[in-house]
Amino acid sequence: MVIRIAAVGDVHLDEDVVGRFRPALEEMPNHADVLLLAGDLTRHGTEAEARCVAREFGGLGVPVVTVLGNHDYQCNEVPRVVEVLEAAGITVLEGNGTVLDCGGSRLGIAGVKGFGGGFAGRCAADFGEPEMKAFVQVSTESADALKAALHSLDCDLLVALTHYSPVPDTLAGEPPEIYAFLGCYQLGQAIDSAPTTLALHGHAHHGTERGTTPGGVRVRNVAHPVIKQAYSVFHLGEHLEPGEVSRMGSLGTRPAWS
Amino acid sequence: MTEHQDIATRRATDEYVAAEIHRLLAEDPDVAEQGITVVRRELGLVLHGEVESVQRRDEILRRVAEHFPELAVTSDIGVVRTHPPTEIEQLP
Repeated sequence: MVIRIAAVGDVHLDEDVVGRFRPALEEMPNHADVLLLAGDLTRHGTEAEARCVAREFGGLGVPVVTVLGNHDYQCNEVPRVVEVLEAAGITVLEGNGTVLDCGGSRLGIAGVKGFGGGFAGRCAADFGEPEMKAFVQVSTESADALKAALHSLDCDLLVALTHYSPVPDTLAGEPPEIYAFLGCYQLGQAIDSAPTTLALHGHAHHGTERGTTPGGVRVRNVAHPVIKQAYSVFHLGEHLEPGEVSRMGSLGTRPAWS
Repeated sequence: MTEHQDIATRRATDEYVAAEIHRLLAEDPDVAEQGITVVRRELGLVLHGEVESVQRRDEILRRVAEHFPELAVTSDIGVVRTHPPTEIEQLP
């Protein structure tokens, strides 16, 4: 049993980008069972930009599941953005999850946008001014929602999808001073509380692809400027040898054990 | 958007200029880029990062030149490639 997951984040679509991803996306059904988008689909979160996303990422022949990112909130049109995306068949997660049948295996995906706050020993605390308390409260509530969503899914393989990072590992390359604006440890804690197989996020354009949570869950930063290709593909499967972790295989042919 | 004061007469090595440009690129609705790094070099400022289209790169340079006409600015901004992947990563 193998589940093939394609993923990319931070595509920041507007009219000037429509069509750039499409040639690579047309191959999607040959390479993946599902496409996960890690937020920042648009530049400013307008309805018009959401329509660009719908044109580019709609009708791919595989399910498309997304979370929103901070850019998608910029113009306060989130409900309309979500409507447009869902009308194009794209599932938008925020504190909930979905289970997809992938060749007889059930893939569970739990998603939230997440928020900043920082990482163990270097994080914001729920103390002091109301603005600081409100900031930390958003991080905590988001992580709590992710935890509840992860635990609510009945599936064979569980994936966490966020925009903000759950670990500092995948931020390497970003200035350390801004880590607290790029993610928070509470998301990692939520991911580690469930039998999560893989955590995907975006947001950190100058970050690094690979990391792990303190609990050992693999984390991948799939921000488009990080992966430098239309999308990355991950094969998840229990048959794979632990020593084969992160072995790179060629794309295009389904392995014999699938 | 935050108003940017006229600091065209400042030197490129002034770190406030780097801060102003960084915020300009994020807060200007025609740019909205948070992924551009402004690096101060002896001969002026260098902009690093990757954007999604050639038009966006051109707009960044146009905006910076408009707000800071006296500054020597070099672009090292690329456009992110969108080719399909050639490899998969296996995750047991």
